[in-house]
Amino acid sequence: MLAIIQGFLYVLHPLHFIFLFLGVAGGIIVGAIPGLTASVGIILLLPLVYQLDASTAMVMLCGMFCGAMYGGSISAILISIPGTPSAAATVFDGYPLAQKGEAGKAIGIATIASTTGGIISTFCLMFIAPQLARFALKFGPEEYFALMIFGLTIIASVSGKSLVKGLIAGFFGLLIATVGLDPVTGYARFSFNIPNLMAGFPLLPVLIGLFAISQIFIQLEAVGEKIRHYKQKINKVLPSFKELKSLFPTIIASSFLGTFIGIIPGTGGTIASFLAYSEAKRWSKNPDSFGKGNIIGVAAPEAANNGTTGGAMVPLLSLGIPGDVVTAVMLGALLLIGIRPGPLLFKEHPEIINSIFAGMLLANVLILLLGILSVRLFPQVLRTPDAILFPVIFTLCFLGAFSLNNSVYDMSIALIFGVIGYIMRKNGFPIAPVVLGVILGPIAEDELGRALIIAHGDWSVLFQSPIAIFFYAISLLSLLYSLKRQFSVHLKTK
Amino acid sequence: MGKKEILLSIIFMIISMTIYILTYQFPQQTVALSPAVFPRFVSACLFIISLTLLIQGIAGIKKDSEQKKVKLTLNKAFIIRLLLMTFLAFFYTRILTIVGYVVATPPFVAGTMLLFNEKKWFLIVTVSIVTAVLFYILFRIVFKIPLPRFNLF
Repeated sequence: MLAIIQGFLYVLHPLHFIFLFLGVAGGIIVGAIPGLTASVGIILLLPLVYQLDASTAMVMLCGMFCGAMYGGSISAILISIPGTPSAAATVFDGYPLAQKGEAGKAIGIATIASTTGGIISTFCLMFIAPQLARFALKFGPEEYFALMIFGLTIIASVSGKSLVKGLIAGFFGLLIATVGLDPVTGYARFSFNIPNLMAGFPLLPVLIGLFAISQIFIQLEAVGEKIRHYKQKINKVLPSFKELKSLFPTIIASSFLGTFIGIIPGTGGTIASFLAYSEAKRWSKNPDSFGKGNIIGVAAPEAANNGTTGGAMVPLLSLGIPGDVVTAVMLGALLLIGIRPGPLLFKEHPEIINSIFAGMLLANVLILLLGILSVRLFPQVLRTPDAILFPVIFTLCFLGAFSLNNSVYDMSIALIFGVIGYIMRKNGFPIAPVVLGVILGPIAEDELGRALIIAHGDWSVLFQSPIAIFFYAISLLSLLYSLKRQFSVHLKTK
Repeated sequence: MGKKEILLSIIFMIISMTIYILTYQFPQQTVALSPAVFPRFVSACLFIISLTLLIQGIAGIKKDSEQKKVKLTLNKAFIIRLLLMTFLAFFYTRILTIVGYVVATPPFVAGTMLLFNEKKWFLIVTVSIVTAVLFYILFRIVFKIPLPRFNLF
């Protein structure tokens, strides 16, 4: 308890609180802009937070994560385009409400639901993560290797429409990660005596290129297309007490559902929000009103998608494996800052963990305050022309890539991976598996190398631990589930 | 599924084969994990999955020709814009350290705005200068991150 209070005191320090505020506000803006996601926001923020101390950096990144998850609802309600994929289910009832002249109320409900979902999931994170981390302290290299294999099976879950393309993207990411010094022998692989390649591809420029620059290239394609603007007046933000009372059970249930989904690696906000929406509709006394502007249809997905924020942080912080794409980027961010998430983080740097817990709770309170007080301000972001927004982001991408090592080489890498990312995305190859491969590949290889050194090269050591076997089994199950899902989608489309 | 899948799968197969062959230049390590093991495993998997995509692509082409011929239309203007943007970014990465951040950034922002079809000159000049100044303040002054400067000598 004392540790949590210390976390709060840290975050409430004026300077740290300003960074949290900027993270949340920036997250809402990034989330509200269609095309920009929480992952892009975190990547663009990385070069700046790299200069801060680890706790402040994490607080700001968590603010960005939570803010962006909520921000997606603004454009979903006002222009029927979800700002982030997680807000897709909010469109069904949010937009009809806005067309009825109740845009303010819809945003108000989304704000309250998001805040509740975020706070409940953070409490779950605070309760579950330390217990899981305590258990994970028993892990040795062979268990960690098995865990990373499980982490890599997330590739199948985030593959989107084509499992084959997703797997190609994932293995391509793993190949990218093999460039540079071998973690066991120190041999420079595929470096061709080029000094820059000996250290491998720098992570931040690779992420900037794959996520942000490729997105700007995609936006370039939309030049000349008619931009959707909202005309609705935003007033009467707060719902009545009666409405709030009727929403309360849905918000609470959806928050827990979102948290639970978030904890399962490979799921994320989109699945949680759709599931919460369909459950809310199933339990409703008036299911026909869904899709026509039912306030429950806004509250359920928003509580669930923000519920995943704390949930997805559970496997990230306690085991060091990402729960979804955003936490995969967050894992990359942590590694860049010099923190290796996992059980040892709880033991060696509890102050970082406590500031993350406090930061996430306060970030959700800030979402409530900013969402209600600035309800007319944030939607203005949607009026920013692409011709201003994307050139500014494009410049930020290059400055961000440059800033980490003051290197022009890093800028070139960002551009090259931007082009690669664009080509892949245009041809239906998802980017998230590449990132997972790039981030988890070196960790998996490192742990495998350690396990084999300890066992004097005996490969059977990998299959002797019951915990490792458990992770191999759930990895297999996860893959089989993805295959089954892919097969059923294939049958449906036929 | 079709020609694009076939082309891309062949590219990935070539990449994986090249990587696999290159690993034979690595030194042998018998005690623990050889530096060649992980890249070989990954490239072999990539090859097999790319082969699957190739088969899917060939099957897709057969299906398409049986059903209907889809006419591919390429947006010429977009491709030119995309190439210009890539070239502009490449040029920016080259000149940034030569002429410095202050000189290189406003024309870069202005060029990107033009490619995004912005035609109001006043807006282009204002945004490019304001962006350069704001990022200078953010990086150099707030976060103390050094930005490239013009050096005569």
